[in-house]
Amino acid sequence: MNRLGLRIIMVLFAFLLASSAFSDTLKPGDPLPRNETLYFNGQQWGPVNGWNPYSSNNNNAMGVAQQDNARVIVFETPYIYNMIDGKQYALLADGPWVWNAKRTEITFKIKAAAKWSDGTPVTADDVAYTWTANLKYETQAGVGSKDYIDAITAVNPRTVQVKAKLSPDGRPVNPLEVIHYLSSNYVIQKAWTMKLEARCGGDATKFKADPADDFVSSGPYTKFFTDATKVVYIRDDNYWGKDKSMWGKLPVPKYLAHAIFADNNAGFAALKAGEVDVSQQFNANIQDLWLKDKLPISTYLPEAPYGIGASLPTAYYNLKSYGLDQVAVRKAIAIAVDYQTIISNAMTNQSATFTQVPRSLMNPTAGEQALFDHAAVKSLQWAGNDIEGAKKLLDDAGIKVNSDGWREYNGKKLSYVATCPNGWSDWQAAIEVVAAAGKKIGIEITTNYPEWSVYQTVVTSTPLPPTGYDILMMWSDGAGPTQPWSRIRHLLSSEFANTNNNWNGNWGGYVNPAADALIKAIPLESDAAKLKADYTKLVSIYLTDVPSFTLMYRPQSFHAVNESVWTNFPRADDGTKPPVPPLDMTDGYAIAGLYNLKLVK
Amino acid sequence: MFFRGGVELKGYKQYFLRKLGWFGITFVVAVLLNFILPRLMPGDPVAVITQKVTQGMTSQSGVSKIYQQYAELFGTKKPMLEQFVLYVKNVAHGNFGVSFSQYPRPVATILRESIWWTICLQFPAIIVGWLIGNMLGALAAYLKGRFDKVLMPISIFLSNFPAFGMAIILLAVFGITLKWLPISGGYGFDMIPNLSWTFVWSVITHYQLPFWSIVLIAIGGQAIGMRSMSIYELNADYVKYSRFMGIKDRKIITYVFRNAMLPQVTGLALSVGTMVGGALVAETIFSYPGLGNTILKGIMGQDYPLISGVTLIVTLMVLIANFLIELIYGLIDPRIKATQAD
Amino acid sequence: MNTMIKQAFRSGKFLVGFTIFMVILLMAIIYPVIVRDPPLAILGQGTFFEPGIYVNVFDTMHSKRYKISLEDAATKRIASKLGNEERADIKTWLLAAGIPKESIDIGDTAKLFELWVNTYDPNKDVGMTSAKRNYYARLDKSLKGLLGTEGSTVAAMNPESGVLEQTDTIERNDFVNLGQVPVVRWFPLGTDNFGRDMLTELVSATRTSLVIGFVAGIVATLIGLILGLLAGYIGGLIDDVIMFVTNLFTVIPSFVLLILISFSIGQESRGAFTIAIVIGFTSWVWTTRAVRAQVFSLRNRDHVNLSKLSGHSIIQIILRDILPYIASYVIMALILQIASGILAEAFLSILGLGPKTTEVPTLGLMMNWAMIYSAHVTGKWWAYVPVLVDIALITFSMNLMNTGLDQVFNPTLRE
Repeated sequence: MNRLGLRIIMVLFAFLLASSAFSDTLKPGDPLPRNETLYFNGQQWGPVNGWNPYSSNNNNAMGVAQQDNARVIVFETPYIYNMIDGKQYALLADGPWVWNAKRTEITFKIKAAAKWSDGTPVTADDVAYTWTANLKYETQAGVGSKDYIDAITAVNPRTVQVKAKLSPDGRPVNPLEVIHYLSSNYVIQKAWTMKLEARCGGDATKFKADPADDFVSSGPYTKFFTDATKVVYIRDDNYWGKDKSMWGKLPVPKYLAHAIFADNNAGFAALKAGEVDVSQQFNANIQDLWLKDKLPISTYLPEAPYGIGASLPTAYYNLKSYGLDQVAVRKAIAIAVDYQTIISNAMTNQSATFTQVPRSLMNPTAGEQALFDHAAVKSLQWAGNDIEGAKKLLDDAGIKVNSDGWREYNGKKLSYVATCPNGWSDWQAAIEVVAAAGKKIGIEITTNYPEWSVYQTVVTSTPLPPTGYDILMMWSDGAGPTQPWSRIRHLLSSEFANTNNNWNGNWGGYVNPAADALIKAIPLESDAAKLKADYTKLVSIYLTDVPSFTLMYRPQSFHAVNESVWTNFPRADDGTKPPVPPLDMTDGYAIAGLYNLKLVK
Repeated sequence: MFFRGGVELKGYKQYFLRKLGWFGITFVVAVLLNFILPRLMPGDPVAVITQKVTQGMTSQSGVSKIYQQYAELFGTKKPMLEQFVLYVKNVAHGNFGVSFSQYPRPVATILRESIWWTICLQFPAIIVGWLIGNMLGALAAYLKGRFDKVLMPISIFLSNFPAFGMAIILLAVFGITLKWLPISGGYGFDMIPNLSWTFVWSVITHYQLPFWSIVLIAIGGQAIGMRSMSIYELNADYVKYSRFMGIKDRKIITYVFRNAMLPQVTGLALSVGTMVGGALVAETIFSYPGLGNTILKGIMGQDYPLISGVTLIVTLMVLIANFLIELIYGLIDPRIKATQAD
Repeated sequence: MNTMIKQAFRSGKFLVGFTIFMVILLMAIIYPVIVRDPPLAILGQGTFFEPGIYVNVFDTMHSKRYKISLEDAATKRIASKLGNEERADIKTWLLAAGIPKESIDIGDTAKLFELWVNTYDPNKDVGMTSAKRNYYARLDKSLKGLLGTEGSTVAAMNPESGVLEQTDTIERNDFVNLGQVPVVRWFPLGTDNFGRDMLTELVSATRTSLVIGFVAGIVATLIGLILGLLAGYIGGLIDDVIMFVTNLFTVIPSFVLLILISFSIGQESRGAFTIAIVIGFTSWVWTTRAVRAQVFSLRNRDHVNLSKLSGHSIIQIILRDILPYIASYVIMALILQIASGILAEAFLSILGLGPKTTEVPTLGLMMNWAMIYSAHVTGKWWAYVPVLVDIALITFSMNLMNTGLDQVFNPTLRE
C-alpha cells in the first residue's frame, strides 16, 4: 500500500486511539504476553463504565461486584465466602469474627499486613467510614443492610465492632444479615472516600455516578487498560497479600484480560480457539468440546452435571389465578412436568437431576443438603413426568375432564399462560416443557415471552395481570453465607407477597403464618438440632403446598477452563484444602485458584 | 460536451437550493420521529436499571428508594413535550444524553467509539462491492455469451442470499473449519490499540470475514442492476448511430457506461441507507464493535437516549450521503440542469 | 394475457425458478398430510441428535436373534475403540508413566492392551492437564473387556429378594434384522436444540414463512401500487406529499423502523400474521417509486388522453388504461417483495423479535435457536444449513422467475 494510504489509516487509528483510555505503562507495539495473561469471558458484556465501588449501576463485572461471593480482584472484603464448605475465610480480617455474649455485636480484627495500593495501611477506620458513606449516600450496600446493622465503629485502629440493629425485645433483627455484610461488601479507603466526597460536594447522585478513575484499592490487581473491546487488569506486585499471614505469594498471572464479546456464541468460539482460558457463560453441550473435538477443555466435574448447582430457577404460581388456589392443580402440574427433558435439552445436562438430588428448598451443595432430614420428606418429593399420578390427583379432587378434553374446576375450564423473559433461551426451553406437561394432563397451558424490561415491570408490581402471568419463571438465591435461609425467605415469606417494586421474591403471593414464624425464628436460632427440625418443617410445607416448584439446578457461575496455556485450575477432588470453589477464580474464596495456576509446558 | 456559462450554473444553483430545502424539512421530521418512536415502547427502563442495581438487596424500602432516585434522574416522569424540548437543546450542543443501560456513560462516547468501526467496515465494503459488481455487470452485458450465462445465475443467487446466512457460512467455513481467519472482534484478543504493524495487521485480518460477507452480496446486486442498464443502453439508438458514423467502439462504450452509471449512482445513495442494517447482522455474528451492535443492545435494554442517538446519527449520515450523491448526480447528468433552466 | 403466460413458460430462467418454487411449495403442502407428527413435538431428550436411523435398544434386545459369524467383526470392534490415535495416546501415557520405550509396541494389540491394563492408574500423577487426565479415564472405561469373547449379561431385579438375577446373555455374534425391530425412527435431518425432528419442523416452518412472505409482499405491493398510481397520475400536491413521505421512509432506515415497531408491539401480539403486516408496512418504498415512474411515462399516452377527453373518471382511467400496462411490472415487484418479506422475517427472528416460538416455527426462528445453542460453532450443521439452503432456494427461485419474466416483458433483455 502506498504512503498516502498508510497515512490515512494512521490518521484513522489515531482518532480511534484518542477516544480510548490508556495507562502510562503501556508499551506501544506489544501485545499482551500470552503466558502471563489469563483470559476470561462471560462476565463483562459491555465496555466498562467506571471503577466506583459506591456506584449503583457499575457494570464493571470483574472489578467492582459486591454481594454474595463478592469479586475480590481489585477491591477486597473483610471475609470471603467459600460455597463448598459454607465458611467465611478471613481476607482483610485477621482471624474469625466473634459474637459477644448476647449475640448483638460482632468484633473482628484487621490484618497487620493489609495495605492500600498507595502504601498506607488498611485500618478499622476505613471499615467504619465505608459504612458511614454507604449509609449517607444511600448506596446499594447501605440501603441493603441498614435495616440490620446499626453501626460499625473502630474500637482501635486494628479492631472493628459491628453493632446489629435490635428489635424491641433486645434481640438483633437479623444476625444472619450482619454476618452477610462481612463477606459481601468492600472496605474502601477513608482518605479516598473523603476525596470523592469533596469532589462531589456531598451530592449523592454525583457521588455514585463518579467514574472514579483515581480509585485506591487493596486487591492484587488494578486497572491497566479499558476500551470498547476489552478490559485488562494488571497485577500489583506490591500487593500486601504476598505476606505470609495471607497467601504467602503473588497470584500467578500478571494480567487478567476480558474481551467484550457481543454474545454467547462469540465467547464460545473464542473458548474453543484457546483465546479464552476461563469461561463464565452458559456453553451448550460443552462436553462435545472434549469428547468430539478433543480440545483441552474441562469443567469442575468431568461428567454431568459438570458444575455445582447453587441456585434454583423456580416456576411461581400466581395464586390468584383461577384454579391455582387449589393445591391439587398446583401439585398435579408440578409432578407432570418432565424435568429430565428440561435438564437434558434446556440445560444440556449441566444440572443435577431430581433423581440425583431430590427436590427440597436447598441447593445441591453438601452444606445445604445436610441441613434437613431427608427421610422425613421423602414421601413428599417427586421426580417428575408422573402423568398418571397427576391425573389421579386431579380426578380425586373432583377436577374432571370435560367433553372437549380439558379439565374443569366448578364448571370453568382451566387455562394458563406460562411465561419467562424473551431471549433467555434455557428458561424458554424449560417453559416449553412445562406447557407440554399441561397438555398431557388436560390443562391448557400456552406460553408467552415478553421482553425482559416488560416482564420484570409486571412481575415486580402488584397485582399481577389477570392473564398472561399465571405460571411465571424467576430465579431464587444462589450460594451465600445467609443461605438457605435467605432463599427460603424469598420463596415463602409473606413480607414480599403482594408488594410493589418487589425484586425479592414470592411473586405469587403465598401467605403462610406457620412458614413466616419459622423464617423469623431461624436467624436467631443457634441450636443445630432445632435448626434442622425447622428447616425440615419448611421443606415439608413447601412440598405440600407447592406455591412454586423448582425447574432445575443452576450453578452459581458457570466455570469451564481451557488448558492450552494454563493448567492446575480448580477441579473436584483436586486436593486443595480448603477446597477451591469453581467460581472462575474471581468470586469469594475462588480467588485462591489464581495462586495455584501453572503454565502448561 | 456541454458548455459552461451563466445559464448552466444558475440552473444548477436552483437545483441545489431545492434539494437543500427538501433535506432540511426531512431532517426535522426525522428528528421528531427518532425521538418519539423509541419512547412508545412499553415497559419501564427505570425498572431495568433498578433491577440491575438492587440484585441481592433484601430490604424493600431500599429498593423502592433507588427506583425513585432513577426515575427522577432520567426525568421519565416528565411530560413528553418537555422531554422533547430538552432533547433538542441538548443535541444541538452535541450532548446526546446519558445511556440508560450503560449508565453513567454518555451516549456520545458510546457512539464515538462504535461509529468508526462501522464506517470503516461499511463504506469500503459498499464501494468495493459497487465497483466490482458494476464492472462485472458491464462486462457481462458487453461480452455476452458464456461469461454472461455463468455470471447471471450466480449474481442472482448471491444478491438475494440472506446477509446473516453469508456471515454464518463464512464463519463456519473459513473461521472454524479451515481456521484461516479470526472470527470475532475488531482486533486480536491480546492486542491493545497502537500504531504498530502487528496491531494494524490484526485489524486487517479481523476485517476480512465481515467485509467479504457484505461485499459478496453487494456484488451480486450491483452486477444485475448494471447489466440490465448496460443492455438497455447498448441497444439504444445513439449507439447504433455512432457505430454507423464510424466512431470507435471504445469511445462508444465510455458513453454507454456513463449513461448506465447514472441510476447506479442513485442506487449507491439508497444503499447507504441500508448500510447499518446490513452491518448489524454481520457485526452481531462477528462480534464486531460497531453501531449495529450498539443499537441492538440499546433496544434490548430499552435505552431511549442510546436508540435516539444512534438513529439520529444514522439518519444524518444517510441524509448527507444522499444529499452529496444527488449533488454529484446533478453535476454528471446534464439533463438535470437543462430541465432546471426552464 | 395467454400469450404472455406461454412466453413466460418458454423462458428458461422462469421455468427453472418456477420448478424449484413449486417443488418447495408442494412439499410444504403434501408432507404434513403424509407425516402427521406435530412439528413442535419434543422427541429427543438431549440436543442436536445427528441425522440417522435411531433403533430402539430395548426392542433390539427382545427381537429375534440370528447368529452370524463375520471375519472382520472383532477387528472392526477393536478398531472403533482402539484406533491409531488411541494407540498413540496410550503410548504417550505409558512413556510419561515411566515405561521404557522398547517395551511398547502399538502394533501388537494384545500386548499393548495388557500393558495398559496392568499399568494404568487414574490417580497416578503423570504431569498432565486435568483435561487430559479426564480423557485417559474415559479411554480406560471404553476399553474394558475389549479383547474378550464373552457376551454381555442382562439382569433384572427380583422384586421379592431385591437381588439382581441374570435373565439373558447377548453374545458377540448376535444380530437382529432391522425390519423386525418394531420401534425405529429415521431422522433425516436430525433434531434441533429442543429435540424436535428437524425435517418436519423445517417443512412446517417453510409453510409459515411462505405465508408471512406472501402477506407481507401483498401488503407492500398494494400500498406501493396505490400510492404510486395516485402520485404518478394525479401529480401535483398529492405527488409532493407522497414523495415527501417516501423520502422520509427512505431516510429513516427501514430496518430500524422494523425493529422498533416489532419491539413495541410486544411478544404477545407478535403472531405470524402481525409480523407480516409490519414488514409490509415498512417495505413499500421502492415499489411506490417504481410504479410512479412508470405511470409518469404512461400518463401522456394517446389512449389515456382519449379517455380523459371522453370524460371518464380518474378511477376508471387508472383502472382501465394505466393498470394493465404496468401489470407486468407489478407482478415482478410482487415476487420480489415476497422474497424480501421472507428475508425480513428471518432477519427479525434472528434478532429475537420474530413471532412467538410455541405456536409455529418459522425459518428465521429455527436459525435463531440454532445460533443461540451455538450450533454453528460446534459443527452441528444439520441445525442450520438446511434452513439456510431452504431460504436461499426460495429467494433464488423467486428471483429467477422474476428475471425470466423481466426478459419476457422487456425483449431487449433477452439473450
